[in-house]
Amino acid sequence: MGTTDVRAGLFERAVGLFGLIDGMRGVPSDESIEGLLRLLPPDPRRNLAAFFEPHVREAGVSFLRMVKDWMFHARDARAAGRKVILVPFNFPPELVLAFDNAVPLTSEVLTTIAAVGLEGGGERYWEHMMGLGLPDHICSANSVELGSVLSGIDLVPDAIISAAPGGCDANSKIHELVSRVLGIPQLLIEKPVDDSPEGHALYDVYFRQLIERLEDFLDERLDEDKLRRLLARANRCTELYWELYELHKPRPCPVPNIYNLFLAPVRFCLWGSDQAIETLETMVRTSRRRLEERAYPAPVERARALWAYTSYYFDVNELHGWMERQGYTFLADVLDLYHPRPIDLRSRDSMIDGMIAAAWSYPMNRQMGASSMSGAWVRDVAHGVRDLDADCVIFCGHDACKQSWSVVSILGDELERMGVPLLVLHGDSWLKTVTPIAVLQEEITAFMETRVVGRRRGAGRRRLRRRSTTEGSS
Amino acid sequence: MSESMGRDLAGGHLRTWRDGGGRVVGYACVLTPVEVLDAAGVLPFRVKALGCSKTDRADARLSRFNCGFCRSCLQLALEGAFDFLDGVIETNGCDQLRGMFENWQYVAPAPWFHYLKVPHVVTPESLDYLEHELRRLAAALERGFGAAVTDERLIEAIERRERIRASLGRLADLRERPAPAVTGSEALSEVIAGSALPPAVFQELLDEAIDRFERRPAPPAPARRLLLGGAAIDDVELVRDIESLGGAVVADTLCFGSRGVSLELSEGWRDAPVRALAERTLRGSTCPRMYDELPSRLELVLATAARARVDGVVLVHNKFCDVHGIDNALLRLELEKRGVPVLALEREYGAAADRGRLRTRTQAFLERIGGGR
Amino acid sequence: MSPITLGIDVGSLTAEAVALSGRELIASAQVDVLHDPVATARRVLSMLDETLRSVGLDRRQAARTIATGYGRERVCDARLADHHVSEISCHGAGAFHAPSAAAGAGVRTIIDIGGQDAKVIRVNARGELSDFSMNDKCAAGAGHFLELMCRTLGVSLDELGPLALGASHPVEMSSRCSIFIETEVLHFLQRGFDRRDIAAGVCHAMADRVLSLVRRVGVAPEVTMTGGVAKNVAVRREVERRLGHRMIDLGLDPQLVGAYGAAVLGSLEVARSGERR
Repeated sequence: MGTTDVRAGLFERAVGLFGLIDGMRGVPSDESIEGLLRLLPPDPRRNLAAFFEPHVREAGVSFLRMVKDWMFHARDARAAGRKVILVPFNFPPELVLAFDNAVPLTSEVLTTIAAVGLEGGGERYWEHMMGLGLPDHICSANSVELGSVLSGIDLVPDAIISAAPGGCDANSKIHELVSRVLGIPQLLIEKPVDDSPEGHALYDVYFRQLIERLEDFLDERLDEDKLRRLLARANRCTELYWELYELHKPRPCPVPNIYNLFLAPVRFCLWGSDQAIETLETMVRTSRRRLEERAYPAPVERARALWAYTSYYFDVNELHGWMERQGYTFLADVLDLYHPRPIDLRSRDSMIDGMIAAAWSYPMNRQMGASSMSGAWVRDVAHGVRDLDADCVIFCGHDACKQSWSVVSILGDELERMGVPLLVLHGDSWLKTVTPIAVLQEEITAFMETRVVGRRRGAGRRRLRRRSTTEGSS
Repeated sequence: MSESMGRDLAGGHLRTWRDGGGRVVGYACVLTPVEVLDAAGVLPFRVKALGCSKTDRADARLSRFNCGFCRSCLQLALEGAFDFLDGVIETNGCDQLRGMFENWQYVAPAPWFHYLKVPHVVTPESLDYLEHELRRLAAALERGFGAAVTDERLIEAIERRERIRASLGRLADLRERPAPAVTGSEALSEVIAGSALPPAVFQELLDEAIDRFERRPAPPAPARRLLLGGAAIDDVELVRDIESLGGAVVADTLCFGSRGVSLELSEGWRDAPVRALAERTLRGSTCPRMYDELPSRLELVLATAARARVDGVVLVHNKFCDVHGIDNALLRLELEKRGVPVLALEREYGAAADRGRLRTRTQAFLERIGGGR
Repeated sequence: MSPITLGIDVGSLTAEAVALSGRELIASAQVDVLHDPVATARRVLSMLDETLRSVGLDRRQAARTIATGYGRERVCDARLADHHVSEISCHGAGAFHAPSAAAGAGVRTIIDIGGQDAKVIRVNARGELSDFSMNDKCAAGAGHFLELMCRTLGVSLDELGPLALGASHPVEMSSRCSIFIETEVLHFLQRGFDRRDIAAGVCHAMADRVLSLVRRVGVAPEVTMTGGVAKNVAVRREVERRLGHRMIDLGLDPQLVGAYGAAVLGSLEVARSGERR
C-alpha cells in the first residue's frame, strides 16, 4: 500500500514530452500544432499553446528544441559513459559543458519544465518532499525536482554542485540533504557576502578549487582549447543578449513577453551552445522585425512592468499572454537580467577569471548574495526601471524566498522615493495551488488600472535617501 | 541568577556597567567571537527576543514569511528596547538575520555598526579570511570605542571566557546526572542571563548558581531524558513546558545553549590568538549554517545523546527557518535510522496559541517513548 | 463485573465521555463544547451519569478516569480525571482495541480528521504509539473546511458525501487554500457545473490534504478512519482509492474513539496495578 502519487519521475516524464517536440520540423503550421496539442493532457496543452502563438512561434519552437536537446543530452549521457551533474540555477553551466565527461542539469529549470509541461505540474514531487518530513516553507524552485530525485524512480545525478551557500540557505540546505540521503558527492562553492577585494579573492580561490575537484571527479583536465571554443560562443550569446536587451527599450516593446521566460534556461542550461545561439538569434531577429512593423499584441501598450524578482512559471499563457492582451509589457525579471560580459579568451586564466566574474554576477548571487541584499537589489531594480523605461515594478512574492521578502519593504521605500509604483504579490512561483493565476490577474489589473496606466513615472519622486549601510558610525 | 534577570533586557548588572561608563555592543549570532569585544573593553550583548509575541512593526518591514525570532527581535529594536546599545554587529548567520539587520539599520541605525562576515565552509582559505575579518572587527572596535585589541588583551579575554566555558561545562555535567541536579530550563536561563552580563559578573553568578544546584537535595530521576536541539530558542517557557510533561532536558545542541561551548582551543593558541578564535569559530561550530559539516554535527548529537543517556531527541525549528527546518528533517532521518526516537517540532515563535499544540505533540512523543506523565 | 473506567475527550468543537466495563462500552455521551473546557467536561459527565444510573451504576465506582483532547489539562486541574493522556495515544489505543471483530488487534494506521485538526497515528503490534503526524493549522485539512463548502453549496454535512458519490466528472480544485477553493466553488456554481461534480471536487481536495498528512508517517494495514469526517462516505472512498486499500470499520462511532481509547488506557492501567497487587 503506498501513499505516494509519484509513479514516474519528473525527468522521465519531461523527456517523454519533449519526444513529441523532437518530431517537429521547421516552424510548424497551425494544423500541426493543433494536432500536437491534442496529444497532450490539459495542463501542458494549455501552457504549451503559449509557445506556439503566432507572434512567438518561431522563437518558441527554437526554444523548445533547445530544451529538448538539453534533456536528451542528459538522458543519453549515462549510456555514453558521461556523468550528470546537477547544478543550481545560480551557477554557470558552461563550466560543466566544457568537460567531455559531464553534462549539466539545472534543478530549477527542471522544476519549471514540470510546472509548464507536466499534468499536475510539480505538485506530486513537492508532496513527496513533504512526506519525507520537510517543512512546507522550503523553496519549490528546487524542491520539486529534488523531490523527484528522492523518489527513487527518476534520474539521479552523479554529483551536485551547490553554489548557493552564502546567498541562499534554502537552496543550499536542500541540496545538502539530497546529497546526504542519496550518498552522492556535493561540490560546494560558497558565495562570500563580501563585495570587497578580499571577498572577491576568496571566491576566486573557491572557484578554482572547484575546477580542480571537478577535474578529479571527472578524471579529465579542463581543456583550454575546448573551453575557448565554448566561451567564444558564450561571447556570441552575450552579444545577442545585449541586442535583445536593447530591443526592450522602444515603446511599444517589440519583444514578446514570453521571451523573458526563454532567456533564463538559455543562460542557466546551455550558455555557449549552438542551440542557445540559435534561440537568441531567433529572438533578436523576430523582435527586430516586430520593431520595424511596430507590432504589439494589443492595440496599445498601456504599461511596462519590471518584475523585481522571479515571475510565475505555471499557467504561462494566463500570465505572459494575458498581460500582453491587456497591453501590459513584461520587460524583464531578475532571472533574465543576468548582465553577461564578454570573456577574455586569451588564456586559461583569463577565461576562468571571466567565468568567475560571470558567476559572481549571476542572478540571486549579485543581489541576495551581496554584502547588502537591499542595496544591491535596489541598485539593480532602479537601473532596470530607468534603462528599460519601466512604468512600474511587480514583486512576485514567491513565498519561500525569505531573503527577498525580508527586504522588499526597503525596495518599496526606495521605489516610492523614485516615484515608481510597486505591486507586492504573494504566490508560489512554481506551484499553482498556492495562489491561482486568476487571483494574481485580478491583483495585477487592479494595480495597473489604479496606479500605473495613465500616470507618468516619477510623479511624486523624492531624492534617494542616503543609506547608512557603511560600517562605522552612521 | 534567575530567569527574571534574563528577561530584563537592559537592567541590573547591565545598567551598572553602563552607569560606570561602559559601552555595550549588540550581536545576534553565536558565531560572533565575543572575546574580541571583551578585549576592546565593550560588553557583548546578545540580541534576543525572549518570546516576544508582538510583531506588528516588524511585520511591516520583514514579512510573515520570515523567521518569527528575527521578527520579534526587530520588533524590540523598532520599539526602542535596544536603544541602550552603543553599537551593533551584524553576522551573516543566516539569510533571516541578514534581513533583520538590514531593516534595523535602515529604519533605526545604530550609532556604530559593523558587519562581520563568517564563511559557511571550513577550508584553509576560509580560515585565513575569517582571521582577517576578526582583525577588521578589532580595528573597527578600536576606531569606534578607543581601546586597542592587542594580543595581550585578547588572550586575557579568551582566558576569562574559557573559565566561563568550564563552568558551563560543569553546569552541563550536573544536568546530565542520572538524577539531574539542574533542570533544562534552569540551565538555559543561566546561559540567556549570561549573554547580557559582563564576563566577571557572569562567572561569579554562574559559579554561585552551580554551587547552589549542587547543594540542594537531589530530585528523583526523571521519567524520560531528552536531548533538545534546533533553532534560536531563547524562551525558557518552551523548555519548561517540555519538562512539565515529564521529559527532562538533560542535554542540548541549542544555539543559546551548548552550541557555544563545544570545542577546545588548539594547543599553543596563545601564540596566535586571533587565528585560534577563527579556528574555533569555524571548526567548533555545530550550527547547520556550516555546510559540509553534517557528519561532525551528527556525530556530536549521537555522542551527546549517548553520554547523557537520553531516551529521545526533540528537534525544534522556528517556522520559516530553512536552516534548521531542513537540517532537523535530515537529522531525524539519520537518527531514526540508528534507532534514536525523534520528535521534530515546528513552532511559531512567540505565539501563545502555539503552546497547546506543542504540548500535545511533546506529550504524545513522551508517551511513545514510554514516559509521559 | 470488570472494573469501570471512564474516558473524557474535550475537543475544540465537541466533547465525548465513555464508560467501559473491562472493554465493554456501557455508556457514552456527547455534547457541543462550551466556552470553558471544565464546564464542558462537567456537562458531558453529567449526561454520562444519567445513562450510568439508568443501568444501576455510578460514576464514582470508576477505578480510573482519563482525560484527553484539547481541554485535558484543565479537566485534570479541576480533578475531574485522574490524569491526562494525549489524544494521539488515545485515538491509537481506541482504534487498536475497538470492539469490531474486523479491527481486533490488526489496526496499525489511524487517520483522525476532526473539525479543527487532523492526525495520522501509527501503532505497533501491541497497540503502542510508534509515530504520528498532526495538522492543526491548515483549515483545508480538517472538518471545518467541509462545513464551509457545505454552506457555499447549500447542503448539509450529511448530504455532502452522498451528493459527491453521484458525480460523473468531479471538478479539480486548483488551489490548496480553503479560501480560494471556496471562491472556485462559487465560480463552478455560477458556470452551471453539476453540484455533484463540485461536491466530489471538494471531497477530493479534502482527501488530498489527508493524504499529504499520511505521507509524513507512511501507512501500514490495517487502516481506519476516525473523527467526524470519517462519516463522509465520499472522502473516505477517495482516501481508500488513493491508498489502494479499504479502511476497516471499528464498530464504534468514529467520534467516540478518543474517549473510548482514554477509557481503554485506564483499564490497562488498572489491570497492571492489579497484577502488581
